Amino acid sequence: MTTTVNRRDVLRAGGALAAASALPTGAFAETRFEPTPGAWRRFETVTRLEIATPGGAMQAWVPLPAFAAPDWFRPGGSTWKTSSGTAEVKRDAKYGAEFLHVVWADGDAAPSVEVTSRFATRDRAVDLSKPGSTPDLSAEERRLYTSATDLLPVTGIVKETSDKITAGATGDLDKARRIYEWIVDNTHRDPKTRGCGIGDIASMLRSGNLGGKCADLNALYVGLARAAGLPARDIYGLRVAPSSFGYKSLGAGSENVTKAQHCRAEVFLTGFGWVPVDPADVRKVVLEEPPGNLPTDDPKVAAARKALFGAWEANWLAYNAAHDLVLPGAKGPKVDFLMYPQAETAEGRLDCLDPDTFRYIITARAVAA
Amino acid sequence: MRARGAPEARGISSNWLGRAAPYAGALAFILLTPTFIAAPLGAVRAEPAVADSHSRRLMAAPSAVAPEFTLPDLSGTPLSLEAQRGHVVLVHFFATWCEPCREELGSLSRLAQGPLRHRVAVVAVSVAEVPVRVRRFLDSAPVAFPVVLDSDRAVTRAWGVGTLPTTFVLDAALRPKLFVAGSLDWARTDLQSALDAVGAAPPSEPSANPPTGRNR
Repeated sequence: MTTTVNRRDVLRAGGALAAASALPTGAFAETRFEPTPGAWRRFETVTRLEIATPGGAMQAWVPLPAFAAPDWFRPGGSTWKTSSGTAEVKRDAKYGAEFLHVVWADGDAAPSVEVTSRFATRDRAVDLSKPGSTPDLSAEERRLYTSATDLLPVTGIVKETSDKITAGATGDLDKARRIYEWIVDNTHRDPKTRGCGIGDIASMLRSGNLGGKCADLNALYVGLARAAGLPARDIYGLRVAPSSFGYKSLGAGSENVTKAQHCRAEVFLTGFGWVPVDPADVRKVVLEEPPGNLPTDDPKVAAARKALFGAWEANWLAYNAAHDLVLPGAKGPKVDFLMYPQAETAEGRLDCLDPDTFRYIITARAVAA
Repeated sequence: MRARGAPEARGISSNWLGRAAPYAGALAFILLTPTFIAAPLGAVRAEPAVADSHSRRLMAAPSAVAPEFTLPDLSGTPLSLEAQRGHVVLVHFFATWCEPCREELGSLSRLAQGPLRHRVAVVAVSVAEVPVRVRRFLDSAPVAFPVVLDSDRAVTRAWGVGTLPTTFVLDAALRPKLFVAGSLDWARTDLQSALDAVGAAPPSEPSANPPTGRNR
């Protein structure tokens, strides 16, 4: 019996084959998101900052990727050039945050600074099934990372919420995981909520608005964990490369990373050490991973959710874990955190969230060893 | 749509407020605070409050005392609350990154220029924003009232503000009478009547303990 080959079928099969071969490596054929410690990746970032409207006394504070974590982040130092004046690396005593403090000459008509930083990083993944014998925190570190900050109160509604989330938990790991899952489960945007918080996590909880742009979910994780007695910290940083697992929402889309700031979080668990967590990125997948507004049971969300408690990718740099930082020499207020370049002129503090006017641009590229 | 448990406020008269304010204030605070439902495995979430600016109500102010403040306006000139004495004053806390805040600023501006303009003053407090950002926002959407800057949230916290936007209505003696957490459409006639009523109330006797607060 002869088999008739239908031309339409051939075209259809050919189209499917072409489409399959056009898929980038690591796309969602398997919906994998499994960061695994492996080779170190080296990067170089360049931050170029210009004062668009020069005048009077002008200075800037540029965060440097100086966070040291021998297992996954190795700072490689910074170099810089300025149009005038002085530039000095300064270090915050409390958290060890490092930044370049630039003071331009008063008459500089085109004040600028360009800072080049290098670092190496690799994926992290903590095996939470096997507690080991990692060293415990010192009493001083434990106190620092369980204390309140200006935007992270750990009493009142934060403590009440944390207590309710962790009631009946079987230990610290269970507490840490329950807080993570609670944040992931409660971040849908509710159009009926009445407004935004004032910037701290207590008012975020009181406003009920955990789905808006003003909701800093990793800060909320850190606050709830601290209120439960678990040392936790935000790490302020910057995405520098695409996700190796094809997630568009979890990586930098190009070498221009000017607006790619992202804060991750860690919780300290005895026997495991500092454990990476990122419930904010799970929400980002829900909202932004194409085609957008994914249900929480979407395989892409499920894979990210499973991994981002205990693991994260090496496509991000860590600046520091500082809160409530006083900028030396500044006339303006302290900063809640230092994740963007800051600057002042005779007009006052510039708007770090408006890089086009400020003006600054940050680029990142992978470099060879 | 109103959240469960939100109290009815069928018109506001100053006499009613005078008697009921302490109790209504406490009740409002309890009912407006998000409630939590305990459930297995952490299904704990904050209850959302009243839906929108068209149905939300002004409530009795939670405190009879407004902490005095002096904050810089956008030109750096200090502006004090005390200087507003003699008017009904709306003290409005906002941020330009807060979406419901942005919508309400226009509504407040129309109120400040409308029929009540000689009796009602509006002072807007920008919460923890860089002045240049607030200036740029207002350049594109000007408002008809002064804006002052609370850079370190000291005044915001002294007033017990936890939600943006939040508005307090003070009488001519600068005593808080009404407040709302959330945005309002100030063109509503019930709100205009409420402001009229605050303005029409007889002045109080001088307090033995005048309000104290942080001056900046």
